[in-house]
Amino acid sequence: MDRWILIAATLLALCGSVRGMLAVHRGRRSRSTVFWMGAALVCQMVFLWSRGQHRGVCPLKDLGEMLVFLSWSLTVFYLLIGPAYRISLLGVFSAPVVVVFQAVALLPGVLQADPQKVSGGNAWHEMHSATSVLAYGALALAAVAGVMFLVLDRQLKEHHLQSGLFRSLPPVRELLVSLQRLLWLGTGLLTVGVVAGFLMPHDKEAIGHLLTALAVWSGYVALLGVQTVRGLTGRRLALLAVTWFILSLGVFAFI
Amino acid sequence: MELLCLGLNHRTAPVEVRERFAVGNTKLGEAAHELTALDGVAEGVVISTCNRTEFYLVAPEAAAAFALLESHLSAKTRLHTEAAAHFYRLEQSAAARHLCQVVGGLDSMLLGETEIFGQVKQAYQAALDAGATAGVLNRLFQRAFGVGKKIRTETSIQQGATSVGNVAVDLAEKIFGHLKDSEVMVLGAGEMSRITAQSLVSRGARSIFVTNRSFDRAQELAAEMGGAAVRFDEWQHVLERVDVVISSTGSPHAIVHRADVEKARHARKYRPLFFIDIAVPRDIDPAVGDIEEVYLYDIDTLERLADEARGRRQLQIDECERIIDNEIAKFQLPGIP
Repeated sequence: MDRWILIAATLLALCGSVRGMLAVHRGRRSRSTVFWMGAALVCQMVFLWSRGQHRGVCPLKDLGEMLVFLSWSLTVFYLLIGPAYRISLLGVFSAPVVVVFQAVALLPGVLQADPQKVSGGNAWHEMHSATSVLAYGALALAAVAGVMFLVLDRQLKEHHLQSGLFRSLPPVRELLVSLQRLLWLGTGLLTVGVVAGFLMPHDKEAIGHLLTALAVWSGYVALLGVQTVRGLTGRRLALLAVTWFILSLGVFAFI
Repeated sequence: MELLCLGLNHRTAPVEVRERFAVGNTKLGEAAHELTALDGVAEGVVISTCNRTEFYLVAPEAAAAFALLESHLSAKTRLHTEAAAHFYRLEQSAAARHLCQVVGGLDSMLLGETEIFGQVKQAYQAALDAGATAGVLNRLFQRAFGVGKKIRTETSIQQGATSVGNVAVDLAEKIFGHLKDSEVMVLGAGEMSRITAQSLVSRGARSIFVTNRSFDRAQELAAEMGGAAVRFDEWQHVLERVDVVISSTGSPHAIVHRADVEKARHARKYRPLFFIDIAVPRDIDPAVGDIEEVYLYDIDTLERLADEARGRRQLQIDECERIIDNEIAKFQLPGIP
């Protein structure tokens, strides 16, 4: 059953992605992306609730659950931030990311078919997992905003201004403001996650994981520090936000 | 009853004739009312813009109504036989089609312009308020506004800026969004920079700094635009705070060099900077465009973008005509076959 709900969520995000891209190709605003992503969010919540019931704790016990939780987080932040900052196109860019994450979660063996109840859960552990994944959702969206900025920057630099995509992209300054706010939000949540990680009972094996989390957090803090104190060009800020997100996601996939 | 249109526009009459027939905005209702006072004319609307004056009326017989209206206009304008050569006379569905073309911007000097929609609405409202319209013209104008909206939403005839100044302003908005948080510096107090800067101010630019070799001229232009004048040897300091630079000096060599911008980058915290170079020879060294956060557009690029937009609008004409044909077929106005 869980699997079917996740398939539905993935198809809904795929619809949002395809319809959004078609609208952009025609040079029009993608008004339906919010609806499709909202429907995908409902399915993600049903899936996570169902897994949580089986686990008895926050459903972050296998890679599949983490990917779905991350997709949920990304979708929530998009729905909160996209309409507020008039950047509906953020949905067109984030929907494919959600589709990829959830498609990977649907691969055989990634999602445990029979989730086992977890006994002896710890509140710090739960908080570490939940806030870290939420943080990654905000940072993923920051990376998406970064990609949007890089596309727009290139088009403006090279004077290629005729595409539907160019007309649909929000202004440079709005993208940079959104990118910075998402980085602050993600780093704030990550701070809570890292602190909770060190406070939770952990054995020697978890030290590597926690130190990696600390390194990722330090990278984001350094990025925001340099941006605030010295300033960074939009291109560097966007490139660093995208690169650091991919790197940190890659590192955690192997730990 | 027949629907009729008698008018002249930028294609049929020179400005010295058009101005004789122009009707002020406040007189549109009165002029429409005067039409209905003509023998047999049941309804009337007068549209008057800088490029056209048109009289829409509903009367029982076309030839008689046109003759009556022309004689009324001759008396008013004191132009006799020479005026008749500039008029176009349209009847029934041709008149309805023409109104749709006018509302959709297809008959405008600047193809696809949107201002005409509001001007026709204002003219119709004035006639309505003056009691000069009834069943036929009310339905015709309402339908024509519907067609205008359809053209706007279903085609791209109104998309893209078609003048250098508007291309520059659109680009500024693409970079900075609302211009109310943006500051502008004008290098050189020439006509082109004045027009472009005024467009930016009209879209909400927060403040304007004007610099020129002649400080008096800079002060003059700054006063005209509600900005501040800057001495020509001090513009580099202002560069640290502004977002947009419009340059149009008569200098035979580049004025803004890469080193000037590099010096200001740290103080600007590497914020985006938009250079509009409308001078020939160019005022801004092309190497400035290689700086990461700088967007540099020269006159050729802006002209090319305006040309492309005009070309795209031309390509949309057939689509607009198809929409008008479909809608005209659905009109079903009383007395119009």
